[in-house]
Amino acid sequence: MQEKKLLDTVMLAGELMLSGGAEVYRVEDTMNHMLKRSGYQDAEVIAFVTGIFVTLSDPQKETLTLTRRIRQRGTNINRIYRVNDISRRFCCDSMSVDDAYAELKEIQAEVLYSPLMKVIGTLSVPPCFSPMFGGNALDFFACALVGVCLAIADRLCRRIRLNDFCSSACGSFVVAFSALLINRYLLKAANSDVMIISSIMPLVPGVTFTTAIRDVLNGDYSAGTARILEASVIALAVAAGVGGGMMLFRTL
Amino acid sequence: MIIEILSAFFSVYVFTMLLEVPRCYKIHSAVAGAVCWYVYLLMRDRGSSPMAATFYSMLVVALISHILARYLKAPMTVFLVSGFLPVVPGTAIYRCVYYLLLNDTELSTHYLIETVQIAGAIAMAVFIMDSVFRLVQVYHENRKAIS
Repeated sequence: MQEKKLLDTVMLAGELMLSGGAEVYRVEDTMNHMLKRSGYQDAEVIAFVTGIFVTLSDPQKETLTLTRRIRQRGTNINRIYRVNDISRRFCCDSMSVDDAYAELKEIQAEVLYSPLMKVIGTLSVPPCFSPMFGGNALDFFACALVGVCLAIADRLCRRIRLNDFCSSACGSFVVAFSALLINRYLLKAANSDVMIISSIMPLVPGVTFTTAIRDVLNGDYSAGTARILEASVIALAVAAGVGGGMMLFRTL
Repeated sequence: MIIEILSAFFSVYVFTMLLEVPRCYKIHSAVAGAVCWYVYLLMRDRGSSPMAATFYSMLVVALISHILARYLKAPMTVFLVSGFLPVVPGTAIYRCVYYLLLNDTELSTHYLIETVQIAGAIAMAVFIMDSVFRLVQVYHENRKAIS
């Protein structure tokens, strides 16, 4: 039955966008546009950060409803970009439902950057950020060393499949501890505060928090509050990790 | 100042790998980030508060993202998220919770307010630019409808 396939496709599109960190109004907008091809009189979409509901209703036909729980969240710009592209082609009728579904499934499995590139990204973020926090050339090198430690910790956490909270805490623990160690034994003139702040940049939930406030301004209060809480939980993990690292260092 | 802008450019460029930005838009995103930090520094040197400086820089970034989105046919989120990376309140939110754990309520509240202020400034600027572009769109559609 074509309607069911369409509903599945639209749901998959919404799920991909939401798990990629898109704003809620964008998710709802895209799904509503795609549902215009259903031929039903009413199409209603509600997206929260943790789940999506879609209902198609028509006096002449049976009502169709689909619910999906969203468990995984992060920032993945590629998903937002690709789904947007597909929905654009889908809405101007140049794409069949089956093709759209197949392409969306492809996006779900797609990873743009290899693990090696991710490691390079993680270890070069801290030195690149350090001048913006007032660091000098020495801090740049110190941050590069901390970045290497962070990248190793990040890889290990991924290998043993730690959950988000624990891996953030673990990463920031390694950052704080290694920054203080390097500061004491290797580069004594470096500023440990700058080192820690610029090294936790890949971990802190700044983007999530800003998206949360944008959702609230757009009137999506439930999604906004959920995202604020999510950001607070990650910030708690990072702060706890840094605090733990500092405490351990003091006991040495 | 040039070093700081270069630093913003390269930090956004390497950060795009973690955010899975499509390869063809990495340079655009990095330029958006660099412009963001340039405007921020410019306004801060003129004596603006961090919140006001963030607001002005985000107005510019939102404008750039809208123009790039229309020109390159990509969603504006691609350029926006990378553009606001340099001013994102990541450090403030971390410090807020950190001082909370140290039981220093005064500093914690200070950084909490800073976080909300900066995130609010970013959201307001994007919201205003969105509204402006929606108005332009409506204006064009109306003109087409009349003629």
